Amino acid sequence: MLVGLIVLSTSIVLIAIGLYGLMSSRNIIRTLLSSEILLNASILFTFALSYLNGLTYPPVIYSVFAISTALIEVVVAFAAVILYFRSKGSLEVD
Amino acid sequence: MYLTSDVSSYLYEGVTVLLAAFAIASAITIVKQKVVLYSAVALAFLGFSTAALIALLSPSAYGIYSVFHVLLYVGATVTFIALTIVLFRGIDVKPSPSAGVALGVVIAVLVAVVTAILIYPSVQASSTVPPALSLTELANQLLDAYWFPIIVLIVGLITTVIEALALARRR
Repeated sequence: MLVGLIVLSTSIVLIAIGLYGLMSSRNIIRTLLSSEILLNASILFTFALSYLNGLTYPPVIYSVFAISTALIEVVVAFAAVILYFRSKGSLEVD
Repeated sequence: MYLTSDVSSYLYEGVTVLLAAFAIASAITIVKQKVVLYSAVALAFLGFSTAALIALLSPSAYGIYSVFHVLLYVGATVTFIALTIVLFRGIDVKPSPSAGVALGVVIAVLVAVVTAILIYPSVQASSTVPPALSLTELANQLLDAYWFPIIVLIVGLITTVIEALALARRR
């Protein structure tokens, strides 16, 4: 029970840090890395909440889909970043 | 007997707290580090600590996913991010404006507080321990109830491979 609460609190702190990084950064790569913090935080949050409610399969299945989709998202996002850098010559956004 | 049980319980909770602190420190490093490549390395550490925290929650129920997280997320996604960032080595990261930082902090704290308030009743009411995961049952559930998302995911992954090849061949 206590371990579940510790992990739940950690995930909430990670969500806060990820949002802070997402809103405060002007660099595209830093923004993408902050969104990865949010992804990790949301997966941790799902598992902590499922553990506290006694669930085994739903968090595993949903997180497998989330991680696989994140892999696709990262590849597409970095392709866009490379094209942006080729056209603008910078990674800063206004 | 009771003393041994108490010691192992304290050890278990202590390791969890240490890993939680490590995860938070890694996340702060990602946001605050000036060199973006070091941020990507910190993301790998965040992935490892996330996987370890998930495994510590219930090793019999979530251990399999923890391995999956390390293999797919840290092994593929974070490595890809780090390799891509190497392409941009030498590019400076400008400091953020102070107004954006203040807004980000305020919104992040608000989200954290609202989330804690919303989940508190659910946490208070719970008392059951998750049963051990069976791979057969997991495969049955994936193939029976989630066959369509799996097909969509396979199509997405194939598209990603094609896109990566097209990007690599572009002059």
